[in-house]
Amino acid sequence: MSEKKILEYDVLVVGGGISGGEAALNLANLNYKVLVVEKDLSLGGKMIALSKVFPTLDCAACITTPKVSEISRHPNITIMFSAEAKKIDKLGDHNFEAHVHQKPRFVNIDDCTACQLCEQACPVSVIDEYQQGLVGRKAAFIPFSIASPRAAAIDIINCTLCGACERVCPTGCIDFTQTDKDYTVKAKAVVLATGFNLFDPVKIPRYGYGKYKNVITSMQMERQLAPTRPFNAILRPGDGKMPDNIAYVLCTGSRDKSVGNPICSQVCCMYSIKQGQLLMGSLPMADVTIYYLHIRAFGKGFNEFYEQARDMGVEFIKGKIGDIKEKENGNLILRYEDVEEGKVKEAEHDMVVLSVGVMSNSEISDSFQGESLRLDDYGFINQDDILASPAETNIDGVFVAGTATGPMDIPDSILSAGAASAETTSYLRRASL
Amino acid sequence: MDVEKGKTAKYRKEKNPVAKEVMENLKYFTKTKKILMDALKEGDKTVPQLSEALSIPADEVLYQLMSLIKFGFAETGDIDDMDEYFYYKIKDNGKDKS
Repeated sequence: MSEKKILEYDVLVVGGGISGGEAALNLANLNYKVLVVEKDLSLGGKMIALSKVFPTLDCAACITTPKVSEISRHPNITIMFSAEAKKIDKLGDHNFEAHVHQKPRFVNIDDCTACQLCEQACPVSVIDEYQQGLVGRKAAFIPFSIASPRAAAIDIINCTLCGACERVCPTGCIDFTQTDKDYTVKAKAVVLATGFNLFDPVKIPRYGYGKYKNVITSMQMERQLAPTRPFNAILRPGDGKMPDNIAYVLCTGSRDKSVGNPICSQVCCMYSIKQGQLLMGSLPMADVTIYYLHIRAFGKGFNEFYEQARDMGVEFIKGKIGDIKEKENGNLILRYEDVEEGKVKEAEHDMVVLSVGVMSNSEISDSFQGESLRLDDYGFINQDDILASPAETNIDGVFVAGTATGPMDIPDSILSAGAASAETTSYLRRASL
Repeated sequence: MDVEKGKTAKYRKEKNPVAKEVMENLKYFTKTKKILMDALKEGDKTVPQLSEALSIPADEVLYQLMSLIKFGFAETGDIDDMDEYFYYKIKDNGKDKS
């Protein structure tokens, strides 16, 4: 039996990634009461999973963790994890009512000390989603080492209910009696920071992702490069070999009408160049080749970063990949059109990284009742007046931040969140006049 | 609803029986862990060596082995002469935590 509570806030922020967190923090610092609704077990979104950021090669976690810690501890911010805004109604000016559904964590966060005894006691091993499926985790687990909150959770779908975690927990914080909760949230404004989805390369069968073990995604490589990585080194998932010849295929699932995504992901050139540089550091003897259509190094310091990668020895080939085939030893043969020479060529690599594109995450649009939320042609949330008010949507009082509007990098996401919080503040001030 | 603290798993199990696939997954992991640990007790091995000795695909060996390292049962040793594959060994000189 679910219980229903009525909660009141100034602003409902949907999404606890870097954009939602930034917007929430800005609003909370102006003394507005904010509720952040996050679908995952931790704040930080996709950024908290990155190794380093371009073009400075700053440690991503070193930027994200203090920020999420500040959000978690802010007295004006309430966060609901494993929660989704299922229904959002605009009842009038400055008057929104949302139905929020929260799944149980089976752990009382306030009592958990993150001692990990439950993890050690748990006999079950399942795929670790945070490590992109490269390694296992337990059914009783801390989502990842820098998670915020750093508290355990129980993966009830894969739990054998053996009770081992409960028996070893020194604080008695594990509670399998927890049930789903439903809340009615009243708010004066809504900020949508629902982020993006990565392109699923299974949709391009000729690249062999999911079939050839040594074809991986850029996010899987990102995890391999991170200090909290799944392996002890950079290894081929197919057989644990240290690769010495790695290829990147840019624009996988972006700028490609045939897979339903004709737009540029805006980040895949730069994150691939970044990973190329990091690989040259981790595997000094390795060859890294980047197959590209155009290098779009448009931001501050980006072109210099690209030149730096070339100077370090990363090879760039302007080439369109036809298909990828696997040899018996796990190596991969890339058949491609060398665009500059106008010839079809083949090249052999130990490992291939698919630099996947950015897709919209438009689920939130289904939550709006009555007045529907307008999306653009690619499924991102439409900005009605992109030049004058980039955070405004077609619904007065509903604002949008970060990659929910379209592909963008981290600095632009932070800027966008700043714009969203400023426009939300302006809207809220009008309520009090 | 009064359920004794520390015995809530038992309470839930009575209400929601565990799916067969979940128990099968547990059996598979326990079995794979045992055969990998037994193989490593005979000496340090690389992923291809374990794969050949146990007739388990190399990618599955790597996944399970890396999980055992993460869970504290095994550790990484030296790299082979060709600088291609690492050797893996039981952690703490064979003192099996299980």
